[in-house]
Amino acid sequence: MNRVLDRAFTFFRVALAEMVAYRAEMLIWVLSATMPLVMLAIWDAAVADGPVRGWGQVEVTRYFAVNLVVRHLTAAWVIWELNHLIRTGGLSTWLLRPIHPGWWSITETLAAWPMRLVILAPLVLGLILWRPELIFWPELANLFAFPLSVLLALWLMWSVQASFALLAFWIDQSMGFFSAWVALWGLLSGYLIPNALLPLSLGEAARWSPFYATLGAPVELLLGEAPIATTLLLQLAWSMLSFLLLGVLWRRGLRRYGASGA
Amino acid sequence: MGLMQYRANFLLQFGVGLSSAVGVLLPMVFVWQTNPVIGGFTLREAMLVSAFFLLLGGILGTVVEPNLGATVDAVRTGTFDHILLKPVDAQLLCSVRQVDPSRLWEVVTGVLVGGWALAGLPPPTPAQILAATLMFGSGMAAMYGLWVVVISLSFWFVRVDNLRFLLGAVVDTGRWPVTIYRGWLRTTVTVLVPVALVTSYPAMALLGRLELQAALGAVAVGLGALLVSRGVWRAALRHYSSASS
Repeated sequence: MNRVLDRAFTFFRVALAEMVAYRAEMLIWVLSATMPLVMLAIWDAAVADGPVRGWGQVEVTRYFAVNLVVRHLTAAWVIWELNHLIRTGGLSTWLLRPIHPGWWSITETLAAWPMRLVILAPLVLGLILWRPELIFWPELANLFAFPLSVLLALWLMWSVQASFALLAFWIDQSMGFFSAWVALWGLLSGYLIPNALLPLSLGEAARWSPFYATLGAPVELLLGEAPIATTLLLQLAWSMLSFLLLGVLWRRGLRRYGASGA
Repeated sequence: MGLMQYRANFLLQFGVGLSSAVGVLLPMVFVWQTNPVIGGFTLREAMLVSAFFLLLGGILGTVVEPNLGATVDAVRTGTFDHILLKPVDAQLLCSVRQVDPSRLWEVVTGVLVGGWALAGLPPPTPAQILAATLMFGSGMAAMYGLWVVVISLSFWFVRVDNLRFLLGAVVDTGRWPVTIYRGWLRTTVTVLVPVALVTSYPAMALLGRLELQAALGAVAVGLGALLVSRGVWRAALRHYSSASS
């Protein structure tokens, strides 16, 4: 056990050093994903004439401030790297190592957190200065459920992305399918439109979708708008399901993998 | 036309184009459903903005982005020398070398959405159509200039991929009517990355809401961007140390 922890710690240190080394790139990545701020501007204008379904300007600001943070804590980019590795054959090097390549990717994803939080802090602070009413105190139970929900969302996001990347074993240009997922995700996850503001039945139905489990779920949990147990269970179910799918794709894909040296 | 050879992939790209159009239009429908007039735009009027946004995305994706990528690669690998050796202006050659026809789908949707939006609005006068064309042209000139500057940066900093992502993210804000934005966000999308000139301004011209002052400003930004980008490009060329010398 001790040795495992030791290795995990070393992995994390190396990944963290890499994040710090590429800090300028990280800054640009974070700034490229500030869509929640744009959506905040849109919804702020939409509810300017009066609250919609109980959502006023304060609620909108609060929602998208949390949305921004969750978006970055659940960000994965394994699809780009894995897809590239499979198509160029670079995966072979990774397969030779004594440790499953997935571990490195997971460590790397988690190691981005400190850097992202440092870059996000001034953005969130700016929002608070702009509209101090957005500060709120979540219930203790929600506060404890939130990190768990974020981790589950990240797990789901990571395994969905990895699954799409593995399609590269069979299809040359597999990224196209991912674009379709992203388009649906933007609509149903709560990223662009809070589920409460979607057309009513659609918003309700979307709350059961994997899209919602990757973003809307943790956001609404912290805001106290989602039932804790049901939401966490739903996220757990989707995470395990996609992880199983990932495992099947990985085993079948490796058998097809035909890069030099494999 | 290399992409046409891979028919299955072409069909896939077609589907991707469709999903990206849906991804632009549906959020707009859902947002306007909660309030009929946002930032002074009704849904139909806002759809006019997104029609221009789809046109912009289609043109950028078909002509500008592929060439940008090819040029950045050429600078990194040193094959840029081949371009310089040809007797045609290098900037022109770099701008028209490659075309990605799969993104033309967005141009088609843009035209369809624009037609649908205009059908339910009072018909624009010839002067308004002229103004809208002029706005779209100036805006495109400004966007093209910006892309040339990004290419030029790759002569100094080899890796500009991330910069392209950032630019893409800012361009994405152009799908909403500019009147919604306030403060620094508005300055960003009209002056810094003038995407509003391509999307909102032509729509406002067609709706008869564009003030002369703003229109003249847009033309000035377009011309200015062309001149500045030409200057940056030439400075970049002087800085380029080829792979062979």
